[in-house]
Amino acid sequence: MSAPQRAQRFFAREKRPGVLDLTGVMGTTHATLGFEVRASAANRSFAVYAENPLPTDRRSRIESNSAFSDLHYALYIGRSQRSADLLVTNVSKLPIEGTHAAEVVPFGTAKFTLVVAPKGSLGGVFFRSLPWIIAVAGVLMTLAGALLTDRLVRRRERAERLATVLDRVAAENREMYREQRSISQTLQHALLPEKMPELRGAQVSARYVPAGAGVDVGGDWYDVVPLDDGRVFMIIGDVSGHGLRAATTMALLRHAALAYAAENPAPDGVLGKLSQFVGADHDYFATVLCTLLDIDGHGLTVASAGHMAPLVIDEAGAEYVAMTPGPALGVMRASQSRYRGATVSVRPSATVLAFTDGLVERRGEVLDVGLARLRNLALQQRLSLDDLLATLARKLTSEEHTDDTAILGIQWQS
Amino acid sequence: MAELGDDGGARVEIERASDSSGAPVVAVSGELDISNAGELEEVIISVAEAAPERLVFDLARLRFIDSAGLAVLLRATRAATEVRLRDPSPAVRRLVELTGLADVLSVEP
Repeated sequence: MSAPQRAQRFFAREKRPGVLDLTGVMGTTHATLGFEVRASAANRSFAVYAENPLPTDRRSRIESNSAFSDLHYALYIGRSQRSADLLVTNVSKLPIEGTHAAEVVPFGTAKFTLVVAPKGSLGGVFFRSLPWIIAVAGVLMTLAGALLTDRLVRRRERAERLATVLDRVAAENREMYREQRSISQTLQHALLPEKMPELRGAQVSARYVPAGAGVDVGGDWYDVVPLDDGRVFMIIGDVSGHGLRAATTMALLRHAALAYAAENPAPDGVLGKLSQFVGADHDYFATVLCTLLDIDGHGLTVASAGHMAPLVIDEAGAEYVAMTPGPALGVMRASQSRYRGATVSVRPSATVLAFTDGLVERRGEVLDVGLARLRNLALQQRLSLDDLLATLARKLTSEEHTDDTAILGIQWQS
Repeated sequence: MAELGDDGGARVEIERASDSSGAPVVAVSGELDISNAGELEEVIISVAEAAPERLVFDLARLRFIDSAGLAVLLRATRAATEVRLRDPSPAVRRLVELTGLADVLSVEP
């Protein structure tokens, strides 16, 4: 069966819009995995289908990465560990036996099963490595989504080149541009946390506004993780650039950060480990803000790698946390990077906002002007957290933006 | 508001020269962002062929830079032993300092 035939058969199944759908593994010698996403734009719905080849023999090419070097892993589509459903692995003999852990992770309409085992025989080390189970699965899934988006963008670019030759298809092209942007946004949402966790004593909310000018996946991300002891780990980051490379870098950093935070959530420590993870190859850089919130104790500790400080809003006013950022990740060698946490206490019912530069950067002005604009606007509002974030996103971003914007807010409940 | 070129992207002008010691000087003016950072990257690649000891970016007339533009300046450190940013505007300087790029690129004055 050819790819168009497979696509047709796949489309024929009933689908929900806005959900990323996956086929099973298709073919044996040149196995592929199909993706489909449906979205709606301009009163019609449409669907896109793409196929990604799986690695030869399903052997992973990321095994040399230090983050995964201590683990054997195998990722399957579905709940089984049948060789026919294998997507990727770094071991030659399957199934994985002996001490191992299996985790089923939902993705779009599908489920992935990840099986992980320690390479050595050290059980203690293995259980310290458990956060990496989630990390590896997350990275692979993000890669899948990013690959699909990249493919869609390339397809649009080809269509645009044709359109410059043929004026009459320009209108059709504009329509396609809108549609694909909608797909890209759907996917961006698939890559970011689906919903914010429920917290005791505080409310948390997030907004993501994709760049107006492009349809690429951006490099902004955020995560909020409630810890067992009642504290909350919060991270927001921005990888320079757009497209597949920014998205894959974002995926690696994001999941590595979660794994490090699971080991020890101290913000300065997480940034220090991330800077070791990234090194200083000067290929790209990423700004990251890590915050550890003590909800019951009304306090927070924050550390920055080249990222803007968070804004704290309460009845008395709005102030950015006074802190000294260390270098952005990827700029300096870890041995030369120093990250220091700043600890502040907040009043009851305070709100803390973390954000990426799209919210405050404007052409031809110093960053501090944009920071003051955000501060003044936040001060004027006496809104619920959701409404505050919606207002900031509406008033401080526009269609002309070439940068993505992420806003993350947490509000203590008095 | 952004100064937009014919293709809807920001407009940047890049000129190559040498200073009195013969070191390459790349003057970047206008707005450097994700839509045109690749143009500067190409210039840096061609400058790098001569394996210069020192590379100077004259930023006096650069009004805006985004993270994609900053990443290109960072990558220039692979083209020369020493990379200098000359006369950045307060807006550009602020971002170079916030991201820690000032620690690996010499900013003058």
